[in-house]
Amino acid sequence: MAPHVKLIDRVTAINWNRLDDEKDLEVWDRLTGNFWLPEKVPVSNDIPDWRAMSDAEHTLTMRVFTGLTLLDTIQGTVGAVSLIPDALTPHEEAVYTNIAFMESVHAKSYSSIFSTLCSTRQIDEAFDWSERNPHLQRKAQIVLDYYEGDDPLKRKVASTLLESFLFYSGFYLPMYFSAHAKLTNTADVIRLIIRDEAVHGYYIGYKYQKGLEAAGDAKRAEMEQYTYDLLGELYENEVEYTHSLYDEVGLADDVEQFLHYNANKALMNLGYPALFPAEICDVNPAILAALSPNADENHDFFSGSGSSYVMGKAEETDDDDWDF
Amino acid sequence: MTLPTTPANANTNSPETDYHALNAMLNLYDEHGRIQFDKDLEAVGMFLEHHVRPRTPEFASATARIDYLIDNDYYDADVFARYSRTFLEEFLTYAEHAGHRFDTFLGAFKFFRSYALKSFDGAQYLEDFPQRAAAVALALADGDEQAARDVFDEIVSGRFQPATPTFLNLGKAQRGEAVSCFLVRIEDNMESISRGINAALQLSKRGGGVALLLSNLREEGAPIKHIENQSSGVVPVMKLLEDSFSYANQLGARQGAGAVYLHAHHPDIMKFLDTKRENADEKIRIKSLALGVVIPDITFELAKRREPMALFSPYDVEREYGVPFADLGISAHYDELLANPRIRRSQIDAREFFTTLAQIQFESGYPYILFEDTANRANPISGHITMSNLCSEILQVQEPSTYHEDLSYAHIGRDVSCNLGSLNIARAMDGGLARPVRTAVRALTAVARHTSIDAVPSIRRANDEGHAIGLGQMNLHGFLVREGIRYGSAEALDFTNLYFMTVAYHAYAASHELAVEYGRAFTGFETSAYAKAPGDGNHFDQYLDGSLDIAPRTARIRALFERFDVALPTADDWRALQQEVMRDGIYNQYLQAVPPTGSISYINHATSSIHPIASKIEIRKEGKIGRMYYPAPYMTNENLDYYDDAYEVGWQAIVDTYAEATPHVDQGLSLTLFFPDTATTRDLNKAQIYAWRKGIKTLYYIRIRQQALEGTEVEGCVSCTL
Repeated sequence: MAPHVKLIDRVTAINWNRLDDEKDLEVWDRLTGNFWLPEKVPVSNDIPDWRAMSDAEHTLTMRVFTGLTLLDTIQGTVGAVSLIPDALTPHEEAVYTNIAFMESVHAKSYSSIFSTLCSTRQIDEAFDWSERNPHLQRKAQIVLDYYEGDDPLKRKVASTLLESFLFYSGFYLPMYFSAHAKLTNTADVIRLIIRDEAVHGYYIGYKYQKGLEAAGDAKRAEMEQYTYDLLGELYENEVEYTHSLYDEVGLADDVEQFLHYNANKALMNLGYPALFPAEICDVNPAILAALSPNADENHDFFSGSGSSYVMGKAEETDDDDWDF
Repeated sequence: MTLPTTPANANTNSPETDYHALNAMLNLYDEHGRIQFDKDLEAVGMFLEHHVRPRTPEFASATARIDYLIDNDYYDADVFARYSRTFLEEFLTYAEHAGHRFDTFLGAFKFFRSYALKSFDGAQYLEDFPQRAAAVALALADGDEQAARDVFDEIVSGRFQPATPTFLNLGKAQRGEAVSCFLVRIEDNMESISRGINAALQLSKRGGGVALLLSNLREEGAPIKHIENQSSGVVPVMKLLEDSFSYANQLGARQGAGAVYLHAHHPDIMKFLDTKRENADEKIRIKSLALGVVIPDITFELAKRREPMALFSPYDVEREYGVPFADLGISAHYDELLANPRIRRSQIDAREFFTTLAQIQFESGYPYILFEDTANRANPISGHITMSNLCSEILQVQEPSTYHEDLSYAHIGRDVSCNLGSLNIARAMDGGLARPVRTAVRALTAVARHTSIDAVPSIRRANDEGHAIGLGQMNLHGFLVREGIRYGSAEALDFTNLYFMTVAYHAYAASHELAVEYGRAFTGFETSAYAKAPGDGNHFDQYLDGSLDIAPRTARIRALFERFDVALPTADDWRALQQEVMRDGIYNQYLQAVPPTGSISYINHATSSIHPIASKIEIRKEGKIGRMYYPAPYMTNENLDYYDDAYEVGWQAIVDTYAEATPHVDQGLSLTLFFPDTATTRDLNKAQIYAWRKGIKTLYYIRIRQQALEGTEVEGCVSCTL
């Protein structure tokens, strides 16, 4: 697929002291401050929980995570990279490179969860499943098609829908488990991912709106229609995907509500009004309350490393500080 | 697949059947923008009604229940055999009608999930809160009927809450130790390292956390058998310990947990800190072991003067001085060490050391800090304090052990076990304070007397000789708000000083009574500051020489103590106690330590320790309970404004509060500092310098809170708004 992705045709030395858009620096600071690697979370503390879970729960968990791995792989190797040539500022390019890298970190973190909890055979089976599940493959294909198309705005829409909507059918499960005291360290990893994705979806959506400002009325109307059409297409597929995963455990209806909620959130990121009325966005409060990307869990250090630490900003002390 | 808390056919989205969802509604405003406290109470009711009650077997009588539990190996028969049948019947019936309710879902859930006795298959609950309190009281009172009643009343009323290992274990037949916390020295030889690892395994198996001292270990590259460049330093030992802790846990009840302490002037200090870096190599990354750094005054002085900070080879120091590195006291010997060419040293920039320390704290919350000289100046017992524990509130002197080649002891030194329990400040004040303190000291002493850690003889010896206990406090912030006082205000500081002074007075008085009853003081009393002549370094001089305020500074607090009918000890009271203690001694080598009170403050519905609340609705995440929401005590939609959280209160007010309590506490106090993610390492350093100057002995975690980027937050979420 490499030939489809256009490389940038100009290189300007990036000057972070002259910003066209303050948002670039704000988001860059947030993303770099949030840098993390999965190795810091003691997922192995979840092994006793994992052993106590049923086969059906195991299968569900692994399928959900392979699905997420696939999306993160797309976003890391194609999605975020394909946005670079469309960037309006060199700073925006820099932010996309960070997004691309962190998506690869996310993809790898699912693997490190797998390798901690499951056997090689289980892992292979789950990856096989992800290759064979038509809904999962279809959602990948829809998004990939747009990444490879030639409309920068459409790419951003596809990317925002992926970041703010498509991930969440998968995020539901670890948050559900975490509310019920299962796999809490795995949930820490997922919370770190959500913390990142919330910013990614927001930022790409924001850049889309910026791009739209420059477009004419006809283009705007086209884009709005296009967005709702694409969302509709993805939504239908996502509902089927959700049922294929969650029917067996009786959570599908709840996840559907969650899909509506996140679809609206994605539209909001793109600057469009909500599609689904509030009464069918009635997400289980335990999930909704866990969704907040704030890093404010007061975790107990004995059983985990938490999801709220950030890279510190080093600043030297001066003589006044030592005046005692 | 079975969903643990919801009937399989129920709609999980329906709040009527999902108490987790009801609990989560605490974190979501209602349509009028009000916090839904009532939903959490509904969750309690639903949990007890639909989950606990159907899983609780009924018995014909209180004694029939006890008989069943003893016969089926759930309760320890010995505990109950010390009481008459008549007493047990009367006592247990009284206990069952004592009336107790859980104020929060987290409290109820946590109690039943983690503390209550369950059938071996985990399907039934065999205890509720008063029944657990009764079993603990009977075990602690050891056959003394009145003592059993007293302890029960203190626990069931919520005035006194024993620490988790005590409250979890006592009275049960299948149980771990009743002691929370252990500290073990490691000396610079392989036998001692092996013994240290053995202690980590054995003590984790028995419950509680273990801290180990690494400062004495020779540095990376130090000679072994005089051959240079042989030693691998402290990091590989940390790896061994980390793995040992994750292997052993207490019947699955508590994850093994450990801490290691290293002196700031140890040559491996930067490598030690780097183990917690976000991008640390797997070979050296330390995930679950807690780190603590021991910082002497001299490090601050060097940083102030912009002088380099010398790191000294512990191997050379021990050979030159004949004492282990950790016991030397680096501040007092710094210039001498620097001048001695036979001691290898390397140099780092002292200010950079502090910057790095703060960077690591940003990334991981670690390390803790022990201010070595402050802790030692305040220590009433002769000897040198070299380390603290997993929660940084235990500060006791130790003594090295020596070993034969087969790991048997050549000399049994002294290490530390400390059993803890905390008073709920609001309820203890309601209850007149003196009695709760005295009952608590006796209950904790009973734990020490019943404890014999045979697996680590140095701990057994120190416990036999010293009977050290750690009486803690919690719910300061809850109490202050209930009384309309803001955390960190002049009144709050005034109260904190006087409260802790009064607690100290009654604790010493109780320990003195025990010394008289048992006819002995702790071993080493004669050389302690308690035995020194008045005016000549006696520990109680601080209450008589004007160095501490023993009377209220504000009219409001004077009135408050009067209103609660809590008498403040006067100079005469202190003078009399000083004389009595000098004559008879005290029974406990150490009496107070203020732990962070995680779990027990939730089941007791208190604010943690003497900290401000972390958030109006705290998001609590633990391995055993998952992610849950906890409202601050006494909080309503009307008094929300009084509840400034720890991030709003800021580090200065927290340090000031701890500084008021510190002189009255013979050991330490866990002090967490809270920063927004916009803080820099310099802000952390400023707080550390301030804490050190204010006479704080230890600093515990650094907690960082990051608000969602504007535009990405979840709407209507309580914890998302400031």
